[in-house]
Amino acid sequence: MAPATAREQALVDENRRLRKVCAALIERVESSGAAEGAPYAAFEHAVLLAEQVRERTETLHHTLDELGQVNAQLREEIHNRASAEQRLIEAKQEAEAANSSKTRFLAAVSHDLLQPLNAARLFASALGEHRVPEDARHLVEHLGRSLKDVETLLGTLVDISRLDAGVLKADVAPFEAADLLDMLAHEYQQIAASQGLALHYVRSGAVIDSDLQLLARVVRNFLTNAIRYTARGHVLLGCRRRAGGLEICVGDTGPGIPEDQRKAIFLEFRRAENRRVDQDRGLGLGLAIVDRITSMLDHPVGLASRPGRGSLFSVLVPYAHRPAGKRVQAVTEAMPDDEPLSGRTIWVIDDDLAIREGMQALLGSWGCRVMAARGPGVLEGETASPDVLIVDYHLDDGDPDGLETASRLHERWPGLPVLVITANHDAALKHRARMRGFGWLLKPVKPLRLKMQLLSLLERT
Amino acid sequence: MLDASPNDIAPLSPYREVKPVRTAWSLHRDPQLAVRELADGLQHAHLGAVLFFCSTEYPLDALGHALDETFPHVPVSGCTTAGEITPTGYGRGCVVAIGFDRRFFTVAPTLIADLESFDLLRAQCLVDKLLGECRRQSTVSASDHSFALTLLDGLSSSEEQVLATLDAALGNIPSFGGSAGDDNRLAHTYVYHRGHFHSQAAVVVMITTPLPFEVFSTHHLRPCAEKLVVTAADRHQRTVHELNAAPAAGEYARLVGREVARLSEADFAQHPLAVRIGERFYARSIQRIHADGSLTFYCAVENGIVLTAMRPTPILADLEQVLTELESRLGPPTLIIGCDCFLRRLAIEALGEAQSASELLRRWRAIGFNTYGEQHHGMHINQTFTGVAIGHPRPDATDGASHGA
Repeated sequence: MAPATAREQALVDENRRLRKVCAALIERVESSGAAEGAPYAAFEHAVLLAEQVRERTETLHHTLDELGQVNAQLREEIHNRASAEQRLIEAKQEAEAANSSKTRFLAAVSHDLLQPLNAARLFASALGEHRVPEDARHLVEHLGRSLKDVETLLGTLVDISRLDAGVLKADVAPFEAADLLDMLAHEYQQIAASQGLALHYVRSGAVIDSDLQLLARVVRNFLTNAIRYTARGHVLLGCRRRAGGLEICVGDTGPGIPEDQRKAIFLEFRRAENRRVDQDRGLGLGLAIVDRITSMLDHPVGLASRPGRGSLFSVLVPYAHRPAGKRVQAVTEAMPDDEPLSGRTIWVIDDDLAIREGMQALLGSWGCRVMAARGPGVLEGETASPDVLIVDYHLDDGDPDGLETASRLHERWPGLPVLVITANHDAALKHRARMRGFGWLLKPVKPLRLKMQLLSLLERT
Repeated sequence: MLDASPNDIAPLSPYREVKPVRTAWSLHRDPQLAVRELADGLQHAHLGAVLFFCSTEYPLDALGHALDETFPHVPVSGCTTAGEITPTGYGRGCVVAIGFDRRFFTVAPTLIADLESFDLLRAQCLVDKLLGECRRQSTVSASDHSFALTLLDGLSSSEEQVLATLDAALGNIPSFGGSAGDDNRLAHTYVYHRGHFHSQAAVVVMITTPLPFEVFSTHHLRPCAEKLVVTAADRHQRTVHELNAAPAAGEYARLVGREVARLSEADFAQHPLAVRIGERFYARSIQRIHADGSLTFYCAVENGIVLTAMRPTPILADLEQVLTELESRLGPPTLIIGCDCFLRRLAIEALGEAQSASELLRRWRAIGFNTYGEQHHGMHINQTFTGVAIGHPRPDATDGASHGA
């Protein structure tokens, strides 16, 4: 049917065109996604791929941004911690420097004090060997005791500084508690008796793990305090077997320690009040040492006290899991005989005149012939070997040190017994002396120890 | 617009002293003299490769011979153009070249002589060969620090398939490029490889560098409401016979508001058509109008596709914004290789903005040419500025290239 009007003709044309548009679109829609390899399909494919890549890239960038932020935060955190650490390190270094200078100061002071004290002890000891009137002898004995007390105090100060500086190291080994406590009980029974006190000792067969010397210091301090602060009654030394170890206890019938003072007494230079006036010696360093030693050994310390009734100090020592070593030798206090020393030639090299004179007096009182010199140069002309050489480690600045001096003389006379004297606690020095077969004696020189060392050196020749 | 050039405002760097690329160009008509001038600008001890773009006004055989003789030991690649981008901006009838310093670039070019038979297997072999060459010579990981430059015969009508195939083989390696031009004659376009110009061929250049770089593409076109449906097309000839079931030229003329007989390239540039895929529009540029009322395009068309009328926005503002963003990510560029659609240049010239465009391109150190189509990530597109921006050496030079669309 032919279209009747122009308008109908236009509509027919438009209808045809729309049909064609529809057909083209349908063809396109239906062929899309077909992998026919046509140019436009290849383009479309590439676009879709690129779109995916773009999306993934954006996601990646987003993730990277987030990571970057987290990283920045972490970096800042690290920076903060690093600077905090740096500040801590600086603070620690300052503290260590302060501590080190304190320790050096104490060591220097102790050394300077020990020199004249050493000389004073030698003089007092020599004086005691002389024949003096009975009342004067009494004074000499007091003098000796006082000097000994000063020496003990000084030793304590040195020990505290060494503990603080970490120089002193624990040497833990198994031993029987009785080895230590028997000796201490024997020693302190006499001291207690002299104060009119009774010391009750209860023995224990337990084997414990500790540093014998350090633990002895702890218990000695307990005992010394107990005797010092107890006017009447008795002191108890005993042990309790606890699950965590052997509790070594020292009790007394003294005045007791008030609750509010129980922490303070473990600090330096602090003492409980109510001390006995006539026994007022010591600086109150005992328990401060106890505190340091037991912290180092990790032995808990206990204190129970009832004012007016008494106190009980205790230290808990772990049981040993190995058998005890050989028995500890109790040191005899008896002065050996002078006989082997009589007529011996002894050279003393010391830069301190007081020490040289003290040595001369003491050794002379034992019958020795003494040649004392300030330095090695004076003795170079001597042709005959002495029986013993005693040399101070610290000599005048221009001279070689004591070890070097001794070594040179030792080359000249092999087998010459040498005793090195020093206030230096350096273990390396001691080791060097030992390696050369030299005796080693720490200042202040105690007459008994000196005599023992000399006898032992002479025995070897 | 920036008041100062990016090099003036960028912080001075000691690395700036070593130039990773050198550029040169010549207006000499004589091929020997032109190449001599290029060599004067490019030759140095570390020259590693040359990339050039030339007008078809040169006697190409003589030019190719001169290039081969002058740079006997370095690979030389290039193509003919529809206008050049020189160190001073837009040029015409000249030759421009980039010399790559081998301390910063490893350049491996190859030729695809037969576009028709270029399949995925051949693409894979080609990519493997180029990456292998880059790997042997480069200090950085070739797969992470490379991009591919494609130069295609712009009248071959094979770009889409070749690019899609090549892109599949390139995987994550970003690619871009341009279709060779012939100064708007639409007769013969050529790509150059190892002494000879080739038609119906493509050159692929793999470039590996520790410098940061980013491949990008931009256009200034925005969609209008009008839609045209292709209702009759010859996909192989890229020719559309009918739009909306009416003769194509007539429909387009009606859209533009002109008579068919008066339509020119300037109209094609000002009133482009585009296809929409996803959220984006891809220009399909008209190449010419035939007497039978059909339109031939610079890129693939298909029966049933919907063409959207597009309108231009300020073209240089768009380009400057994109380049500024790139600079914020890469730092001031040491070089931009630009593939700039010749229709954009026509539009710019019609607007009287050629001088501003040259100034902009010079300032951003762009070297390149006006194309008959651009390539970006395997897509053959029109009326874009597509290229790669290469940053300056960084103290931590291995800290990688930045890739992106």
